[in-house]
Amino acid sequence: MIDSPTSRLGGLIAGLRQRGWVEGVNFRLELRSSFGPPDRLKAAIQELLALQPDVILTGSTIETAAVLAATKTIPIVFATANDPVGNGFVESLAHPGGNVTGFTSSTAEMGGKWLQLIREAVPDIARVGILFNPATTPRGGRFFLDSIEQEAAESGVSAVAAPVNAVADIDDAVRRFSEPPKAAMIALVDSFLVVNRQAVIAAADKYRVPTIYPFHYFMDAGGLMSYGPTLEVRSADYVDLILRGTKAGDLPVQSPRKYELLINRTVARTLGLTIPFTLLARADEIRE
Amino acid sequence: MNETPDQGPLRTPPGRLFRKYLYSIVALAFAALAINTGFDVWFSYREQKQLLAATQREQAASAAIQIGQFVGQIENQIRWLARLPPELSTNEDERLNAIRLLRLSPAIAEIAELDSRGLEQLRVSRRVADKVGSKTDLSASPAFRGANESRAYYGPVYFFADTEPFMTLATRGVGRNPNVIVAEVNLRFIWDLVAGIRVGNTGKAYVVDRMGVLIAHPDLWRALQRSDLSGHPDVRSALDGVGPPSGGLVKEDLTGQRVLSTYATVPSLGWLVFVELPLSEAYAPIYASIGRSTFLLVVLLIGAVLVSLFLSRRMTGPIQLLTQGARRIGSGDLGLRLAIKTGDELEALGDQFNRMAAQLRYSYATLERKVVERTSELEKARDHALAEHDAAERARSVAVAANETKSRFLAVVSHELRTPLNGVMGVLQLLDDGSLGDAQRRHLATAAASGETLIALVDAVLEYARLEASTEMLETRDFRLHQLIEAAADLMRPQAVDKGLTFDLACDATVNTAAHGDPVRLNRILLNLIGNAIKFTPSGGIAVNAAAEQHDDHILLRITVRDTGIGIAPDMHERIFEDFVQADDSVARRFGGTGLGLAIARRLSRLMRGELTVESTPGAGSTFALEVPLGLAASGIAQGALPPPSRQLRVLLVDDDPVNCEVGEAILNRLGHRATIARNGASAVALARDQSFDVVLMDLHMPDMDGVEAASRIGKLGLPRMPRIIAVTADVSRSARERLAAAGIAKVVSKPILINALREAIEDTPDAPATAQLAAGALIDRHFLDDQKELLGPTQIAKLHHLLQETSDKLIADIAKAAANGDRKHLARLAHQLGSAAGALGLVRLFERSRELEETAPALSASECQSAAQDLAALQKASMSALSDLLGPAEQLPIS
Repeated sequence: MIDSPTSRLGGLIAGLRQRGWVEGVNFRLELRSSFGPPDRLKAAIQELLALQPDVILTGSTIETAAVLAATKTIPIVFATANDPVGNGFVESLAHPGGNVTGFTSSTAEMGGKWLQLIREAVPDIARVGILFNPATTPRGGRFFLDSIEQEAAESGVSAVAAPVNAVADIDDAVRRFSEPPKAAMIALVDSFLVVNRQAVIAAADKYRVPTIYPFHYFMDAGGLMSYGPTLEVRSADYVDLILRGTKAGDLPVQSPRKYELLINRTVARTLGLTIPFTLLARADEIRE
Repeated sequence: MNETPDQGPLRTPPGRLFRKYLYSIVALAFAALAINTGFDVWFSYREQKQLLAATQREQAASAAIQIGQFVGQIENQIRWLARLPPELSTNEDERLNAIRLLRLSPAIAEIAELDSRGLEQLRVSRRVADKVGSKTDLSASPAFRGANESRAYYGPVYFFADTEPFMTLATRGVGRNPNVIVAEVNLRFIWDLVAGIRVGNTGKAYVVDRMGVLIAHPDLWRALQRSDLSGHPDVRSALDGVGPPSGGLVKEDLTGQRVLSTYATVPSLGWLVFVELPLSEAYAPIYASIGRSTFLLVVLLIGAVLVSLFLSRRMTGPIQLLTQGARRIGSGDLGLRLAIKTGDELEALGDQFNRMAAQLRYSYATLERKVVERTSELEKARDHALAEHDAAERARSVAVAANETKSRFLAVVSHELRTPLNGVMGVLQLLDDGSLGDAQRRHLATAAASGETLIALVDAVLEYARLEASTEMLETRDFRLHQLIEAAADLMRPQAVDKGLTFDLACDATVNTAAHGDPVRLNRILLNLIGNAIKFTPSGGIAVNAAAEQHDDHILLRITVRDTGIGIAPDMHERIFEDFVQADDSVARRFGGTGLGLAIARRLSRLMRGELTVESTPGAGSTFALEVPLGLAASGIAQGALPPPSRQLRVLLVDDDPVNCEVGEAILNRLGHRATIARNGASAVALARDQSFDVVLMDLHMPDMDGVEAASRIGKLGLPRMPRIIAVTADVSRSARERLAAAGIAKVVSKPILINALREAIEDTPDAPATAQLAAGALIDRHFLDDQKELLGPTQIAKLHHLLQETSDKLIADIAKAAANGDRKHLARLAHQLGSAAGALGLVRLFERSRELEETAPALSASECQSAAQDLAALQKASMSALSDLLGPAEQLPIS
């Protein structure tokens, strides 16, 4: 799962309750985790389909693709997904058609934005490492790499992919960017990284590598800075409409509206960084 | 006073007036309230609708202003940026200002700054990396051109990434070479504004752009669908510049719900803000108002009903009181006072009622007093009348008693006269011993005739006395009418013929019937009428006509006796029926008689509920008409109705007494059997041997051989066909029966013979009352005698009477001799003969005493025998006298 299950699920349940749906009274919530070995996802999906649910809520692109492959009838709402049109989930964002709709996260251009922002914090870097797990990031990381590489080329920085496949790989991947020439890192939108954010943050601390993250969750774990869409939780809205009979395919896919920049000045100071005015002016929250 | 019977229908139905008042008042109140409420609701409804539409227009206008302000604020912000002096800072500072502006205004997604030539100097974005000094030529862009042409440029709404409504906003700075600031505004931020607009509780506001595309809606997803609403008529007309209807528009919204809709135009942008309120909510206050009005109407109606009840009661109460009062006064309760305190005309009416009742009460009191007085007077008069009545009653009782005393005196005197007269008559008969000279014999005959007349006179007086004392009772039974009339005629015909008169009897066929009545009395009347006719007719003839008119329940017998005699003067027609009256004194001298005959005849007629009348012309003759109603004879009892025998039997009748023989033969003949007579036991045995008989009727007491012995001898004859032997005896003791049984006699018929008893015995009808006894006490059993008369006819009876007279006289003489000689056995046999003969004509006392003497004779002393003989002689005389009395009119010369 991409974000903290507690906050997202909590938001969903609270939202449904506002709309008259009380768990255990007039609807039943079945939770299945897809995290684990590859066959775990398949098993979870089969279990859910066997229950013949009225609607399935998925966490991210990977699960959405897997559930969509298994059913074309049960309505599916994805909480976050990158590029649902490119992935073939929907026909168009305004009129998805089929049995799926949901919410998008960061767009592909955001890669260049992350590079611009980390360069403003650490202006003298010569290279930037891109941390991701190819298995759990959209299009194996390629979704964002294009814009990053374009921006890197314009700004004279070399972009270095740092794919990891396991937690144990994280330390080593980060360590490589502690060595000269001076480098910074970008953590991509990747459920693997979200789940293992403590390990990522720890490695970044350990090797003093300034890193920019895509979600605020990383900031809660002690990250330097994050920039990404504010996830306004609206899944309860769509679940309610679908439970009341609206076809999922008639509901447009919603894109993020707001973006937020979070900076931890303490971490910056630890790294010996001075946050410039342009960043401070842009920052939505500065943590000490 | 009693209640008049017609008061019921007059009663007014209770509460009718009350209901009428009640309904009228309720109807009036209802109409007023309903009309008021109806108008109220209607106007209220119209006002509310207008108010609602106005409110909604206000809300739409307010929303439009808010949206205009939202956009205007952004415009002001970018204008602030555009107007910063170029020399104030480097490009980097420009970028910082743009970043500040982004931070200030979340709706701005991207800001670009172009120089006056249209070259891009700066681009700050939330999604992509910022660009500084790219010099991209954007001079041809609509935003740049628009910003230069006017104070601000508002681009059309476009959708970014398919779903996000965006708008380009551009302004130009001031100065010689003013920069142009182009901002991309994310219109999704209007959503917060639109969602925040409160329209009632469930209403909503939404925004469409100048093309009719939905750009903001509380349901976000609808806006994200890029819905084109220009096809909707209301949107279309709004886009065409038609103003919203003043009362609002009722239509169906996107969810199909009926809503009240209106809109306002956002100034400078040309967008339309629609405000819709569901009708259910919009009209809820109206419905609530109607509901309140209805509730109020109901409450007021209930109030009106209650008030009507109260008022109606107030109005009808006194009237009902008056009605009840009138009813009670009508039923006589005059003490009633009506208490009506309404203080109006009704109270006055009640007072009038009270006065009227008082007046009536006074009148009744007076009337009652008068009635009491009058009643008292009447009671006095009544008491007086009763007293007078009692006195009259007492006087009448005294008179009746006196009359009875007279009658009793007459009866006693008549009876007492008879005894010496009988003596005189006896002596007169004894005087003629054959040695008298002619003159002496003539004198004797005259004396005897005078005596006879005297006896007849005494008898008539005696009978009249009985009639007078009302002691005579009719003795009714069934008899043959025809026979009775013919017998009377037969009896009287010889006298008429002797006198040289003709005698005609004409009986209508209707007379040949049985009737129920008193034949003896009827016979007496007939004999009297015929006797009178003969007596008073010197020449000519007598004609007797009889007819019987058959009615349902009786027979009306009409008999007329017409003569050609001396006639009766008209003034005497009624008087001749009075006591002791004859047509005139000369008649009495010429014809003699008591003058009681017709009086007795009329009294007897009336006793039989009949009438006896006369029509007569002096010198031309008289016609006496008798009309008597008679009862219908019970079938089978009348003589003629005797059932025929099952077969004719040959009967041998054995009796030594000639009277009994005559009677027995007559009865047997009447029963349809053939009778042969044997006068003693020996001839009976001889006859039984020579001829064949079915039945032998055996008298038990005969001189030569008694019945038992004769029966035994007959039994020993060894006849091929043994006749049944029936004993005829008065002795029904057990020893006698045992003797009879030993001689083979099982059946006994008692003496005197009764026809039914004999018939049953002969016909062998089992267990009939064969031993009916003669009535005791009286000298003669009149019933029995009447039966015999009926059975044998008057001629036969008269013959038997003579025969009995002769036989009994001779037997009494013989009994006296036997008693004197002390021959007790002979005495007993003679006594038996006398009893047997006496029984044949119902001389019961004589019959009984003879039997007593017969039984007791062997034990009597000589003096007792003589005494008994004398008693028996006296009894025989009395009995024969009584028999003569009963039969007299039929066989003697009629008295007159």
